[in-house]
Amino acid sequence: MSDSSAPLPVVSVRNLERSFPLVNGEKLMVLKGLDLQIYEAEMVAIVGLSGVGKSTLLHCLGLLDTPSGGEITYRSGEKTWKTSQLDEDSRCQLRNHFIGFVFQFFHLLPDLNVLENVLLPSQVSRTSRAWNKNRDEFHGRAESLLQRVGLSGREKQAPGTLSGGERQRVAIARALMLSPPLLLCDEPTGNLDSRPSESIHELLRELHEDYSTSILVVTHDPDLAARGDRRLQMVDGRFEAESTS
Amino acid sequence: MKYHDDLTRRYLKRRWAPWASTLAVTLGVFSLLTVLAVMEGFKVEMRERIRGTLSHLVVEADPFRGLVGEDSLLEAIRNTEGVEAAAPHVSTLALYKVGIMDHCVLRGIDPIPESKVSDLARYLLSDDEIDQMLSDKFSMLPPDREPSTAEEIAHVFSIERRRQIMSFRLNEDPGPGFTRESPPQAIIVGIEALRSFRLQMGDVVQISSYSPVTLEPCSGNFLVVGAFQSGVYEQDLRWAYTNIRALQDTLQLWDDSAEDMRISGISIKLEDFQKADEISETLHKEIQSRMSLPEDDPKSIPSRITSIETWEDKRANLIKAVEIEKRIISVLMLLIVAFASGMIFLILMLLVIEKERDLGVLRALGATRSGIVLLVLKQGMFLCTTGAILGLLSGWIFLENINEFHDFIFRMTGLQLFPPNVYYLERIPVVLRYQDVLLVCLPTLIFGFLGSVLPSMRAGRQDPIKALHHE
Repeated sequence: MSDSSAPLPVVSVRNLERSFPLVNGEKLMVLKGLDLQIYEAEMVAIVGLSGVGKSTLLHCLGLLDTPSGGEITYRSGEKTWKTSQLDEDSRCQLRNHFIGFVFQFFHLLPDLNVLENVLLPSQVSRTSRAWNKNRDEFHGRAESLLQRVGLSGREKQAPGTLSGGERQRVAIARALMLSPPLLLCDEPTGNLDSRPSESIHELLRELHEDYSTSILVVTHDPDLAARGDRRLQMVDGRFEAESTS
Repeated sequence: MKYHDDLTRRYLKRRWAPWASTLAVTLGVFSLLTVLAVMEGFKVEMRERIRGTLSHLVVEADPFRGLVGEDSLLEAIRNTEGVEAAAPHVSTLALYKVGIMDHCVLRGIDPIPESKVSDLARYLLSDDEIDQMLSDKFSMLPPDREPSTAEEIAHVFSIERRRQIMSFRLNEDPGPGFTRESPPQAIIVGIEALRSFRLQMGDVVQISSYSPVTLEPCSGNFLVVGAFQSGVYEQDLRWAYTNIRALQDTLQLWDDSAEDMRISGISIKLEDFQKADEISETLHKEIQSRMSLPEDDPKSIPSRITSIETWEDKRANLIKAVEIEKRIISVLMLLIVAFASGMIFLILMLLVIEKERDLGVLRALGATRSGIVLLVLKQGMFLCTTGAILGLLSGWIFLENINEFHDFIFRMTGLQLFPPNVYYLERIPVVLRYQDVLLVCLPTLIFGFLGSVLPSMRAGRQDPIKALHHE
């Protein structure tokens, strides 16, 4: 019998492999049979040297890359999705609703203002008519997120006029726009000085607690890694050590 | 998708380069539409003028033997269903001599029936109109001018008219065999023959030709009693009309074997020109069957080789030339539209390269490949469609006011882009057909699509991971 109170994994990774063909015909194995489970409302930090496969793992989990072997299972309530059973459209749909991305270089669209950048995930999968029907609801959600990340009143500003830390706050608000069960952060403070980095650490932790979103952070930053519920050390495509806080 | 609309608006709002391609499409569509409408107007005007002097159908014989049995022929033709009117004519090339010598196409007609099969009534000028046209060498008959009545046409060829004209001639010999009371037969000439001073009203003209019956030279005197303006310069310079009986006598067209006067052919007006081929077939059968009847049959027509042609057949080369000219210019003008679509292609390619990272972000946020393809495709089609609409609107406004623009340029610069003495048209003719609008729009949209499809496919094929690392 299963324990109904036990936390359930939002994402289960089994024997995940990812290799890339080399010019000489051989294969470069970047991920070598990883197993990982991220539970509801859990914050997991993955640390490791450059080139060990952290970003590749993140791309596979974010459905931007296709694994060479193994399987990833996503779960939300009673519903589950396995990567082996997803077609291109389903992958896009899952990426839109299930996963939020925070990138090292923020990746805000410079032609849109702050509010429009935050609204973008809600516009990606909806027709103009469907979106306009719920326009007020989306605007309310985006404005409250901007307020939550401390950028209230900056909605109409262009991203180019914001500091690095502020841009990352906008990127975090955008990632949370559709309340995804999973937030993937790729070096979220890698492009920031220490003070804004610290505030982003704080913000991620607070949002994690407020919204109960599962967060996977890939980082070199030991301070940020220390804020995770679990820390996984990655070495040469495998997890070497795990520690909990 | 909602993001298509917002991003398209933003991408195009903040850049001027895409609008250069829209401007190119606008210019292309504007030029193409203008050229097609003016060429079509020119074609319609030409056809109208050429047709005006000709009838819908013409029954003609071989020029050496002519047609005989005019009454039976006319009776057979007029009784055919779909025929509205028929009139006989004699036609010949002739030399004329007054002070100088020149040549003309002389047509002998029966004036009243002729006015029912051709637009003679519209073209025949009154004395006041002749004076006015001689004082202003570019003036044209207004298109809404009332046609001459049957009485006015009959009067021009009448003995009274000839006597009246003769009474203005002072101390001049009307020629051997003629007096003021019995003047020569009437001839009406094209207005350009008067304008060029080849002939004058009241001239007694000696006309010489060869008789197709005797093959001997023959000549006769004719009195210039009137003029016409068909609107076709060559005809207004070279054509002349006289009474069919007078010309038959001059050309000695009596056919001994048939014991009848020969005619060159019969002009026919139809109730509906669209049925020309069908009626032509019926007429041909009817004439052939009457030619095969025994001679003593009252319905019989002496056998001759005949052909039936529409006015379009008779002027096929000219009509085809204008049509081909229009087609060639259209193709050349389409090159502007093709060039514009090339601009769309280049601009979209640059946009896709510039926005590679944005497209990667969109993919990371859940946009599908086809969504990205559509995003770029929509931008291309938006630029193209906007250009096409602007081109159509500006073209339509320009065409509606083309003559006012022409007059304005003339007033400002003295430059006459459309001189009436060259084109023989007072105003630039314009006919905008929906087929031509389609001919402009469809290739423009197809070119626009072709120009947009490659950049959009390139955008859709991008690897989102590489795009996210694009600097």
